[in-house]
Amino acid sequence: MSEKIFEVDHLSLHYLTRFGEKVHAVTDVSFSMKQGEILGIAGESGCGKSTLVSGLMGMCIPPLYPTSGDVRVSGESLMNRSESDIRSNVLAQKISMIPQGAFNALNPVRKIKDIAADVIAAHQKQGSPSSAKEIYQRLCERFDLFGMDTQRVLNSYPIQLTAGERQRSVIGISTLLNPRMVIADEPTSALDVSTQKEVIKMIFDLLEKGIFSTMIFITHELPLLYHVADNIAIMYAGEFVEMGTAEQVVKDPRHPYTQALMGAMLSSESSQRSRKPVAIEGAPPSLNQTIVGCRFAERCTRACPDCKKNTQSIRMVGDRLVRCDYAK
Amino acid sequence: MLKQYPTILYVLQKGLWYFLTFIAAIVINFALPRLGDNNPVDIIMGKAAQGLSQEEAKQKKASLLASFGMAELSTRTYDTVGYECALNEKGEAYLKEAFVPAIKVTERKIKDSAGADSVVNDTVGIFEPKLDASGAVMKEAASDSAGKPILDSAGVPVMKNVMQPVMVKKIIHIEKGSVVYSTTPVLENGNPVLKEEPVLSSSVVQFFAYIKNIFHGDLGLSYSQYPKPVIEIIKESLPWTLAIQFPTLMLGWIVGNLLGAIAAYKRGIFDKVFFPLAMLLNGIPFFVFGMLLVAAFSISLGWLPAMGAYGFDQVPSFSWEFYKSVGLHYILPFFSIFPILLSGQATGMRSMSIYELGTDYMKYAKWMGLREGKIVSYIFRNAMLPQLTGLAQSLGAMVGGALITEMIFSYPGLGMAMLTAIQQNDYATIQGCTLMISICVLVANFSVDILIALCDPRVKAGIQVGGK
Repeated sequence: MSEKIFEVDHLSLHYLTRFGEKVHAVTDVSFSMKQGEILGIAGESGCGKSTLVSGLMGMCIPPLYPTSGDVRVSGESLMNRSESDIRSNVLAQKISMIPQGAFNALNPVRKIKDIAADVIAAHQKQGSPSSAKEIYQRLCERFDLFGMDTQRVLNSYPIQLTAGERQRSVIGISTLLNPRMVIADEPTSALDVSTQKEVIKMIFDLLEKGIFSTMIFITHELPLLYHVADNIAIMYAGEFVEMGTAEQVVKDPRHPYTQALMGAMLSSESSQRSRKPVAIEGAPPSLNQTIVGCRFAERCTRACPDCKKNTQSIRMVGDRLVRCDYAK
Repeated sequence: MLKQYPTILYVLQKGLWYFLTFIAAIVINFALPRLGDNNPVDIIMGKAAQGLSQEEAKQKKASLLASFGMAELSTRTYDTVGYECALNEKGEAYLKEAFVPAIKVTERKIKDSAGADSVVNDTVGIFEPKLDASGAVMKEAASDSAGKPILDSAGVPVMKNVMQPVMVKKIIHIEKGSVVYSTTPVLENGNPVLKEEPVLSSSVVQFFAYIKNIFHGDLGLSYSQYPKPVIEIIKESLPWTLAIQFPTLMLGWIVGNLLGAIAAYKRGIFDKVFFPLAMLLNGIPFFVFGMLLVAAFSISLGWLPAMGAYGFDQVPSFSWEFYKSVGLHYILPFFSIFPILLSGQATGMRSMSIYELGTDYMKYAKWMGLREGKIVSYIFRNAMLPQLTGLAQSLGAMVGGALITEMIFSYPGLGMAMLTAIQQNDYATIQGCTLMISICVLVANFSVDILIALCDPRVKAGIQVGGK
């Protein structure tokens, strides 16, 4: 069980603008995951979460390009491989993703069953094409697992479904080919609380049924992550600033940013009612130039003059990783 | 009961709206030549009366009025009192009650046993002429008004000669009956004279007569090519317009959209060359482009003919020679429209496709490992939908917009026919052409409306749930 099925090694990604400028959206991200692990990644909007997903899939859609680093699935590197190779051997089979905004992720002019059939057809081995009927049979079996109104959902266009149904259909399509790991990019962000719960429940049903076992769950909602994830990584301005177990990160944050993030959370617990959430002052730094020193220094309440000069490197504090020289 | 068939209901609803629009077009067409004191017959008479005597002209006008459904036809019952024109004490002309006319006969058309029409006269009643004290037929009217017409209360002459009462006919079933004239007494050089004017029917009656004529394909007579019926002119010219415009449009639309989608997807050198070229072509008015083509290929190089739809030495026939001639004459007009239409569609499709490429479902499709061909088909399918609306517009403009191309190449199409008609104030032909254009616009838009409903599930789903 201790075999590392997913390893990310100092991964950096950049966007290339029209004028040849590079925007370093993700810098030096490293982590590894064991079979059955759920890693949560949290951070504020624009910190590079979704960009990181592209890198992790091994499929950067221009203008996004990998700068350096490596991503390995079961020891197999995804970098420097041709697009068609990645497409036919990795995507949807080894790594799959659940996108944010399920409505926009479904082609509006195709029925759910056609979109799903397209995914199956794209990964069929040459010479053994299944008939449309077989594919439909397979879809029905899979969608029945989700406790949905299978026939109706499959034969509907995306606009005919509710947000929850769409999101669940997308999850169904994403996990059709039993991928080894799934990256869920804010799967619940656009949903109301009860639908969120349904979707989360569905994801965990799939985990229980062994359709997939390893997951990266990306969200900006830390309380949700606390319930879902084994480990949590906090991202800020393209970097991981803190990574540890869910308990550690949420209950006992060490990095000033994580602490500030916890302070900014709204809570409905009665003991917390009197506590006013504190917004973090300032804005994240622009990533299209080289940043010297700690990226959070401008907004950090505990920053000292050295913070703006010395680039912080991620280090072990106790049994977790923190990117702050002054964290204890 | 149609609730179970929402698609049929949708088509019917759409169809109803298009039909109403069509009626509106007819109303405009009907009203335009009747603005002010004008009427279409007077306009045609300007041409038709040439070289005719007064009496012939009057008959001509009567027959035209009857064919336009504009005049009252003699289907009325008649009074049983005759009038004549006389002078009163003030010296004004007035109608004097003269006598009781004769026999009233009703003419009726029936079908005989062989199925042919035959006419039966029914005598409705016999009215004796007024007798004087001695029992003789009143003669004073006859003696001093010999030759003066005797009229009924509507001013219709019923007798020429009092001594011989004429039969007043009532014709029940009339195809083209005689026009009713209103006769008013006026003074001319001190003598009471009767002035005859055809009685025009009310505009409502005229309107329904107009609609009936349209559905019978009767659009009146051309003024400039008198006495050719307008429908003949349209029948001769419309096929040429459709032949040049429709294939060009469809081909331009399909090829333009394909190229636009490819340019958006492939980018790189193809896009860098193709896009500015398309923008340039799109900016050139097609008549300028047409004239450049004529100058280059027809005048300078002399490779292709520039005038007409077929050679002057050819007679339309089903011969190889004729087809070859038509084909040669087809090339320049085709290429004067095709590249410009293509580039217009391609630039539109390119930007739509670029937009579609950036959508979430494209990214999702890529991340789910869909093949390139499938992804291109996704883009094409979605980017094409707004382009369909563009197709509707260009199809609509097709028939009317052909004018300039046809002018440059002297192509004998509908645009040319309309131009000639406009130059010669040929209202009937203009009316016929505009009506034809309206019909083409409506049919094209209707088809594309249905096509969009079939292609876009958002519209289709809207139909199925019965939404608006």
